[in-house]
Amino acid sequence: MDEALKKALEFSNFTATLNTQKRILHEKYLGDLVMYSDNGKFTITKELLNFVYMISNNSSKTVLIDDNNTPIQINDIDDFITKATQQYTDATNKYLGDYKTLSTKRSVEGLVDV
Amino acid sequence: MSNGVLCFANNNSEINYILQAQELALRVKRYLDLPTSVVTSTPNKVDKTFFDKIIPVETPTGNYKRYYDGADTHVNVAFNNAGRIDSFDLTPYKQTLVLDTDVILCNDDLKNSFDTNYPFQIYKDCTDLTTWREHTEFDYINDKGISFYWATAFCFNKTAETKIFFQLLKTLRNNWSHFAKVFDLGSRNFRNDHIFSMAIHIMNGFMEGNWAKNLPGTLYYTLDRDLLHKIDDAKLIFLLQKENIHGEYILSSTKDMNVHVMNKFSLERLLNV
Repeated sequence: MDEALKKALEFSNFTATLNTQKRILHEKYLGDLVMYSDNGKFTITKELLNFVYMISNNSSKTVLIDDNNTPIQINDIDDFITKATQQYTDATNKYLGDYKTLSTKRSVEGLVDV
Repeated sequence: MSNGVLCFANNNSEINYILQAQELALRVKRYLDLPTSVVTSTPNKVDKTFFDKIIPVETPTGNYKRYYDGADTHVNVAFNNAGRIDSFDLTPYKQTLVLDTDVILCNDDLKNSFDTNYPFQIYKDCTDLTTWREHTEFDYINDKGISFYWATAFCFNKTAETKIFFQLLKTLRNNWSHFAKVFDLGSRNFRNDHIFSMAIHIMNGFMEGNWAKNLPGTLYYTLDRDLLHKIDDAKLIFLLQKENIHGEYILSSTKDMNVHVMNKFSLERLLNV
């Protein structure tokens, strides 16, 4: 096989694997953002964090609609904020770390850490 | 005993589901800290040390199904997995998580299914590991817009409501050829995913609804055209069939992610080592 074509195909394999691994990392991150609290399931977003923080200025309780569209009574909003902020921070930092590690890899084997 | 996992393992001429069930039970203990019971038509072939209870059943009737082992190899063998419809009657637990034996647990996400008050939880969406495949058949069971649910994993409480649901599943199974026509499935063979999807649609009042809640976490899947290359604890390495190039694969890996491995042959090869 022509050397240039061989290199192009190798790079193509590398790119395909890189894209797959990036996507898997992102899916994992989205999963890590899900928090279970007060018998409800919540995907932690910047909007949710801002909303509960705003509510907490005036009240210690609130009702949130969870991922299953079920209204959930939150009896201790400060505790909810603490847990959600911690989980959001942990998940995002882990995503950053894993993404940086992936970015340093220069071979297909390195990308999947065989 | 209140909480536990139930799986179904009926070997056929090619696939050792009991071996898979043993691996599942080990991982259930490790990640979910729960007992596993196995329902099987060959209880004498089961190593009792892996399981909480071995529940014997008669050899179930099934379809013949084409099983691929990577892109190039396939065999037609009996698929005897309709038993999960009887989960309500067979389970020894008050709250039960039913799992396919070819699910490789690598995290404790499913533990959260026992911390909710929902009577029935199941995955509506699972995630393909590849970025290039689109599976519209996993969105809807037919062209009428009836949502597809994955019977690979579900969790239920023994309540009057779920009893109705499981009785409905039996009615659908016992009259499959009729309901397959009603739901416009053509001449398709019986499939657990379809029968669960149909029953959930009925429980929702013949419309979109949320009677069935989503199971916690994400279940990823690879097709039987892909190959499971290596199991290293919670890290799995796959060869995923390339887009539009028959017989070529992309290397990929997952860590701490639950994966439904449809290529049972490649799974068994690694478990047999």
